[in-house]
Amino acid sequence: MKNFFRKVAFGIGPKEEVPTDPLNWALNQVNEIPDLSWQGKIYSEKELRNHYKSWVYGDRKVLRKKYKNDKNLYKTYKNLLRHETGQKFWESLEISIRHNEGINSQHPVLAKLWMFWGNFFAISEKDFLANYSTGPYQREIIRPNLNQTFEKMVYDVTTSWAMIHHLDNSESAGPKSVTASDEWRRRKKRPATINENHARELLELHTVSPKAGYNQEDVVQLAYIMTGWQQRWSKTRLETGNIWFNSEYHQPGKKNVLGKTYKKGRKSLALVIKDLVNHPNCRDFVADRLCKYLITDEPSKEMKQPIIDAFKKSDGFLPEIHKAAIKVAFENNNKFKKFQTPENWFIQVAKIGDLQWPPLPEIMDSYELGTKPSRKQRSPERLLRNLGHHPYRAKQPNGWPDHSDEWISPELLIRRLVYAKLSHSFSKMENNNNEYYENIVQKNFDNPGKIMKYIDQKNRIVEKQTLLFNHPEFLKS
Amino acid sequence: MKITRRDFLKTTALTSLYFAGFGAAGYANSGTKKNLIVIMLRGGMDGLCAIPIKSDKNFEKLRSKIKLDKTLPLTSDFDLHPALKTFKSLWDQNQSAAIHATNIPYTGRSHFDGQNLMESGGKIPYQEKTGWLGRGMKIAGLTGNGLALALPMPLLIRGVPMNNNYFPVGHKLPYPSTLKMIQDAYKQYDEKLLSENMEIIQTRELSNTSSDNSWVLASNAANELSKPDGPKVAVFEVDGFDTHAAQGATNGAHADCLSDYDNIIRSLKSSMTKESFDNTLILTLTEFGRTIKQNSSNGTEHGYGSAVLMAGGLVKKAQVHTDWPGLKRKELFEGRDLNSTIDARSIYASAMSTVFDLDFKRIQKDVFWGENLQNLSDKLFKA
Repeated sequence: MKNFFRKVAFGIGPKEEVPTDPLNWALNQVNEIPDLSWQGKIYSEKELRNHYKSWVYGDRKVLRKKYKNDKNLYKTYKNLLRHETGQKFWESLEISIRHNEGINSQHPVLAKLWMFWGNFFAISEKDFLANYSTGPYQREIIRPNLNQTFEKMVYDVTTSWAMIHHLDNSESAGPKSVTASDEWRRRKKRPATINENHARELLELHTVSPKAGYNQEDVVQLAYIMTGWQQRWSKTRLETGNIWFNSEYHQPGKKNVLGKTYKKGRKSLALVIKDLVNHPNCRDFVADRLCKYLITDEPSKEMKQPIIDAFKKSDGFLPEIHKAAIKVAFENNNKFKKFQTPENWFIQVAKIGDLQWPPLPEIMDSYELGTKPSRKQRSPERLLRNLGHHPYRAKQPNGWPDHSDEWISPELLIRRLVYAKLSHSFSKMENNNNEYYENIVQKNFDNPGKIMKYIDQKNRIVEKQTLLFNHPEFLKS
Repeated sequence: MKITRRDFLKTTALTSLYFAGFGAAGYANSGTKKNLIVIMLRGGMDGLCAIPIKSDKNFEKLRSKIKLDKTLPLTSDFDLHPALKTFKSLWDQNQSAAIHATNIPYTGRSHFDGQNLMESGGKIPYQEKTGWLGRGMKIAGLTGNGLALALPMPLLIRGVPMNNNYFPVGHKLPYPSTLKMIQDAYKQYDEKLLSENMEIIQTRELSNTSSDNSWVLASNAANELSKPDGPKVAVFEVDGFDTHAAQGATNGAHADCLSDYDNIIRSLKSSMTKESFDNTLILTLTEFGRTIKQNSSNGTEHGYGSAVLMAGGLVKKAQVHTDWPGLKRKELFEGRDLNSTIDARSIYASAMSTVFDLDFKRIQKDVFWGENLQNLSDKLFKA
């Protein structure tokens, strides 16, 4: 039963009480969105996007021209610019804030669901998004929507700067739009064409999934509806301007997506999203993904149904969807144990092992813009890269996989072995005793005797931790 | 020279009609260890950027902003991207070739579905849980012979147990006795997959403290592949071919990706023994090609037909094999993409037949569900 605390959250820390009513403990965490528990400085998405602006402008418009004949000088000044804009620091700060929610907050279940949706609406590794914008996108777009409707979440994601940049919607221009007949297009031979990327992912990954049976024409028509949603471009901001609806780029006329007709204009995006999120395949897709994340690689119809029903009954209200998923996870707790992804695994290691993780707010706050971040200040980003699971650096817009097999290979297991061993260097002196291990094993496992016997095969703490964190019952929950 | 589809039919004869009469490739075991290396080019490799067609007015018009200003000479009909220097030097020794206007039979233009299908070899995305290479290895009995130079294990070589992957972490492993205890726990809990992987971790010779840049990875892989009892299959990944914007020409984003590919084959060539390289086949695999027409951001969109690059001693001769479909509007797939006239799975099936010494028909049946594929082994590869 105790694996439930790791199934829907990250386990029980050494100083925490084991909840007597696990189901309600979990259900009660998903109604409200409390402030983040991180005690250090938190920067706004706009502020960080401003650093992104300084980086792209400085590189593209200044350095490339200034040092076009000297490759080495160019490289040197580019590195200076990286530090002036905090390029090597922000993502580590964001990961610290994220992990802190799982480890030190009063609502780790909400944190685990936040991570789920961040990956569902993934911003994959593209340009410098991970360095400046993906963390704040997950904080300011995904997290506040965890107690809103799925429809609102999709709309906010779709019109967010990060997603529009990630999926190139600013590049999309209606072939019959006002801009299509602009003189400069003729002169520069740049006719107005659509970019289907964002429209395709809105269907495939963010709402109905390919099972809905849409065709190429549906993608094109949705792309037409989406034309005009773009970054406000300026000579100094370049692609980092705010999102607006530029009617001059919008394809005029009616559009037809999955059999429904939409009029031209700004409002058509909200209308089509409303229809997409109410499509039966969308509910099924969301239920399937939630079950895969929390319960098993192969969810059954019976598992998905209560989540689908909750979605339908509540009009896609996310707290109700989450509660249904938590209940299904609870009912299936002992029957199905899910192999945890490397990041989830490490957060559990940090919480149960009471590691000095994430780095303290004082350490992160001591970073000075313009300087190279210290090893410690960069450690979150490096650690996740080395585990093979950096949440802002998925390779594709479908995010990181949930399927266990994807995470089992010699090299990925080596990473867990190595980091279970290295976790010792983050351990606190006060925990350097057997009582500590008895306490955490008691709190997190139903068969503490068996687990203790296994880790007691070794005497040194470093090896006890390596054994515990790689035990099959720790890897799966 | 202006080429037409007819010319190609005459000169290359890579058509189903021509191949219909060919039987199985030789499958007697010659005794020499042969290697198959697949380099996955993720994001959609632009075959027409790698191997542009010469003197085609349609092409030049549609690509005015991303046209290559210098190329390497290849054939009377095709040029080569200047980033593919090693490919060119192998070409001059009859150790590289290409198949143009080819792709897996997938026209949906989604990266995720497309990459899933290029690895699974199937037609319905996410339906198959194993890769075509893994299934081929399984029927060839090549357990423990696969090496992926990537951090997650690619779907492509799933389907046969005990594959290895290598992407050095830079730290030492726990003590062997600790590993043994963990292994015992996996066994006790009947965690087969975990247990098998742990077995590999405990026995392999690759260093965990080496570098993970692609040149070093390729050189490590080359050493392993050159060992008589080493792996026979290796898989690399190159990301970044999805150039919707700033695809560029000679020095653009696509050029950097092609250069990554070229570095891998250069490193393999320089680190493998001559005998090993002579018995090796290196193929590329991508989910789709890109639109002929540049978009307004000087990039290209998801397309259909692309090219497969082949290198290694098992390549029969330097040639661009194609049944060229043409680039006039009506000749394009859906009026926008280079068409695919050869099912790329025929190339992969033929390659496995040659390298694994398996009957082509058996691969066709057991790896590709009896689908209508052509045996190209004799045309493309040395027996």
